[in-house]
Amino acid sequence: MSNELKKTGILIKILKFFLSLRTAIWLLMALLCLLLYGSVVMPVSEEFQALQAVPLFQWMTENSPDITWWLWAAIIVCSLLTANTLLCSIESVLKKRSARQWMLVISPQVVHIGFLFILLAHLLSSYSSFRGTAVVYEDQGLRLPNGSDVLFRKINVDMDQTGYIKDWSSDVEYFKEGRSLGTDRIGPNSPSFEHGLGIYIKNVQLKPYPVAFVEVSKEPGAVWALIGGIFFMAGMTTLLLLKIKKEEVMG
Amino acid sequence: MHMTPLIIAALSVAFYAFGYYRMPFVYGGVLFQVAYMVLRGMELGRLPLVGPHDTLFFLSTSFMLFAIPASFSLKNRQRFMNPVTAMTVCFMFFAMLARPQSYPLPPVLRTFWFEVHVAFSFFSYALFGLAAVLGLLYLVYREEGTEELQYKIILVGYFLFSVAMIFGGIWAYYAWGTYWLWTPKELWTVILWLFYSLYLHARLRQWWMGRPAALLGIAGFVIVLFTYLGVSLLMKSSHAF
Repeated sequence: MSNELKKTGILIKILKFFLSLRTAIWLLMALLCLLLYGSVVMPVSEEFQALQAVPLFQWMTENSPDITWWLWAAIIVCSLLTANTLLCSIESVLKKRSARQWMLVISPQVVHIGFLFILLAHLLSSYSSFRGTAVVYEDQGLRLPNGSDVLFRKINVDMDQTGYIKDWSSDVEYFKEGRSLGTDRIGPNSPSFEHGLGIYIKNVQLKPYPVAFVEVSKEPGAVWALIGGIFFMAGMTTLLLLKIKKEEVMG
Repeated sequence: MHMTPLIIAALSVAFYAFGYYRMPFVYGGVLFQVAYMVLRGMELGRLPLVGPHDTLFFLSTSFMLFAIPASFSLKNRQRFMNPVTAMTVCFMFFAMLARPQSYPLPPVLRTFWFEVHVAFSFFSYALFGLAAVLGLLYLVYREEGTEELQYKIILVGYFLFSVAMIFGGIWAYYAWGTYWLWTPKELWTVILWLFYSLYLHARLRQWWMGRPAALLGIAGFVIVLFTYLGVSLLMKSSHAF
């Protein structure tokens, strides 16, 4: 057998491996086992505390493979699962493109696209997310990573008769090279966004003087996660509706 | 309000007990459960979805709310409703053991995304619970249609669970600046989601249909219980009780 034929044979075997539903099942099982292991070691290893503060890839390269190996393995499995999902989806659409119920064929693939976008989101966030925290007083400014400044004008607190703080907020103003860019108000579940950076107010303290615990974060995967979520929900909704409809027709 | 939960729970249990003989009593039982949740909601001014008391009660009620319509597609309704009723009463009992948390919600929890995230999560947990019951019935009685119904219920549960995860991500992004946190709860949520993804893919293959799929459906609910109760009680997480 010539080398050319051997190579073709190997390529076909690889393609068959990725086109197999059995591969998807085994990969999902492997991923499950890795995450199960991770969920056991995570609460007992102190190193994982820092994982919230830095991007995943940075954390993984800074820590020993003894505690990060399962995450590296999970990334490899996710990469294989991505190839498997993509190829299976393409094959399914090509094979069944002339099917009568085309929407029923395409819906699971829309779900797959959503899943892939969510994986992409995690990849982007794992590579270049940013998170910084600070305690600020009224009229104190912070320099943001993009070079502009945010000034915390006033810290507002809504307290009930017992002294329980029901709500809080802060008025902020953005500056670039001394020029005001605009104002906003931040509160719980209501951050302010400035060129891809989110400004969050986490907590406040009134005594001895008003201070706010704030966080500046950048999550480059957020938009992709949202797009993925929309695709996933759209695909699942159509799939369910079509299955119910099919059932009614058959019934 | 001190005795109200106990009285309503006792009435509910009494109706469910009669439900073993006559199905309409089950409807009465679920009406009492819904009435209690409405009263709790009115007292709190929000959906009662925080703390073990309210969430266990919500889950217990959800079992019945989904089980009643699902049971109509089965030949032997009573055979399905009996274990579901036992499960409902069991969860209601545990709910009554926990102290109701009636303090105002922290600002970060006062959002539409949180309520939908939690409500959908428990609806999906309830559906996964029903799927486990159907799996057991299939293994014991081999009744035609039970495993098929288990698959359909898991598909709906998976949809609701996915929506809950997506809405949870949106809420987390607005609240904490990230849609994902590296805590055991989040990891177990993904484990649960991957497990049911595995079930749905595996069931497409002939070999997995029937007994293996029924077993997977039962195992899934064990993971649900650990994700909901085990992780929240045993591990430090953003979802601690």
